[in-house]
Amino acid sequence: MPLLALDTSADICVSLVADPRPGPWLASTLGTLASRRVVEQRRHAELLAPMIEEVLGEAEVDRRDLTAVVVGTGPAPFTGLRAGLVTARTLALALGVPVHGVCSLEAVAAQALTDLDAAAEVLVVTDARRRELYAARYRRRDPATPRGELPEVVALDGPLVDSAVALQERGAAQGATVVGAGAALHPEHLAGDPEVVVDPAVLAVLALRRAERGESMPTEPLYLRRPDVTPSAGRKRVSG
Amino acid sequence: MPDASLVLGIETSCDETGVALARIHDDRTELLVDAVASSVDEHARFGGIIPEIASRAHLEAMVPTIQRALGEADVDLGQVGAVAVTAGPGLVGPLTVGAAAAKALAVGLGVPLHGVNHVIGHAAVDEMVHGLFPERVMALVVSGGHSSLLLVDDVATDVTELGHTLDDAAGEAFDKVGRLLGLPYPGGPHIDRLAREGDPGAIRFPRGLTAAKDQARHADDFSFSGLKTAVARWVEARQDAGQEIPLHDVAASFAAAVADVLTAKTIAACRRHEVDTLVIGGGFSANSQLRELATRRCAEAGITVRIPPIRYCTDNGAMIAALGAAVVRRGLPASPLDLAVDSSMPLTQVTV
Ligand SMILES: Nc1ncnc2c1ncn2[C@@H]1O[C@H](COP(=O)(O)OP(=O)(O)OP(=O)(O)O)[C@@H](O)[C@H]1O
Ligand SMILES: [Mg+2]
Repeated sequence: MPLLALDTSADICVSLVADPRPGPWLASTLGTLASRRVVEQRRHAELLAPMIEEVLGEAEVDRRDLTAVVVGTGPAPFTGLRAGLVTARTLALALGVPVHGVCSLEAVAAQALTDLDAAAEVLVVTDARRRELYAARYRRRDPATPRGELPEVVALDGPLVDSAVALQERGAAQGATVVGAGAALHPEHLAGDPEVVVDPAVLAVLALRRAERGESMPTEPLYLRRPDVTPSAGRKRVSG
Repeated sequence: MPDASLVLGIETSCDETGVALARIHDDRTELLVDAVASSVDEHARFGGIIPEIASRAHLEAMVPTIQRALGEADVDLGQVGAVAVTAGPGLVGPLTVGAAAAKALAVGLGVPLHGVNHVIGHAAVDEMVHGLFPERVMALVVSGGHSSLLLVDDVATDVTELGHTLDDAAGEAFDKVGRLLGLPYPGGPHIDRLAREGDPGAIRFPRGLTAAKDQARHADDFSFSGLKTAVARWVEARQDAGQEIPLHDVAASFAAAVADVLTAKTIAACRRHEVDTLVIGGGFSANSQLRELATRRCAEAGITVRIPPIRYCTDNGAMIAALGAAVVRRGLPASPLDLAVDSSMPLTQVTV
């Protein structure tokens, strides 16, 4: 029976993933039954629920057959991230299934590391807006994981938020392959492959394995920034 | 099995996470439970609501508040037949959390979603307190963000905004005068308390938009910023002269001016539109000077006045469940799942 995985840390993406899935955790056969991706900076809360209905409809899966909900916990700009997290939490509540949180950057790292050497390290960078990047550095947790198989990852640095210049200056990318949408933003400081983005199916596979190992996967948001504490100016007046 | 008569309402337009359950009966709407979590204490030191702090609190409070409501009403989520949610007006970040949660519930339960107007909800909540509305009612919604006069021909489908404040809302004016008098935020309730021991006739403060020349264009509109300025001038003049400020009298005279304008204009509108029932809602209707004056003047004018108890006047899920119930009762179509929240949703728009 399938599980539903979603991420709103950058694009809005939803996948229905087979569970349990056969064979080794090959990156090429993640068991995606249906998926939707919209490249949008805003409107996460508008588009997400219809996208969930669409993947269920396309795969002809009854929502009551879902076994779990998996959600990317960021880091990400606040409003979109929250839309994903509250959707995952309440959907799981409504369905009576568990909800698992996985750091969105870990999914990007696992994907990138799949095809790299056993000892390779990656720096994942994504758009934090305000001319900054979210960044975290990872390697395979078990160097013996064969190439082509989606590895579990460990963080060596981050996740954090900083400018590309600052990341460059402290050598965050030294000896690492840079991946993630942030790699296209400040190529003079940090260049890499911007095409590797979060695949909800990877979130799902990481979550399934962590669940097998009995790890808890809270869905706490990785905001990485304090709130701006300017009181709302106009309160909530409709007019006048 | 979903029960079509059971409506769950979610409210997150400001700093309160509200979840309530309403049961639709033929002749009434029954409130089963009203659970609220508030982040108000986290904002007090900033002297105003911080949208991002409120939004973070909504995310954390959402599932626990839903669970608390279900537990207290001894209802299984699977019995819920429809989900209603505040679609606006309000703060975008907080509204977004509630809307996303409501959509997920609707998808997860396979039941319709109804996006509704928060301000109309402030009036609709009274249907659970004093019974379903008669054919036509006047609604005065007064809160921190609104002071609006609404002609309600049908609470779910036909609401006309006769007028609103041109500047500060009543609660906002109280809060600003509270700051002026050095009272803690929000100042409204403190002024109310002080005013009870003062002389409302001590100082003659202006009544905004009541002059004959304003009757043509602004008969049903309000304005409180001139009043606020008048209070400020009066207080500053006293301070400059080294005199003590008679807090009780200032509060009483100010509160009397606000209550006078609100009730006089509202009753005039009832007469003009031949409406004999008035509903007063919104957080500011907790104000005791307004309650007293409205009760007295409505009795004199032969108007039935309905004011819900204070806990249903502030933001809560009950108001949204009540309006959602009115929408379901009329068999109106569900809102689309891609509904967008609208921070400045017009008061004539009841549903999305
Ligand atoms: N007893 C009282 N006397 C005067 N003002 C009061 C009293 N109690 C509450 N208020 C005022 O009511 C306002 C809060 O009302 P409410 O919570 O309905 O407003 P809101 O939700 O911020 O605005 P809106 O409903 O327009 O979105 C505050 O301005 C507060 O000072
Ligand atoms: Mg309100």
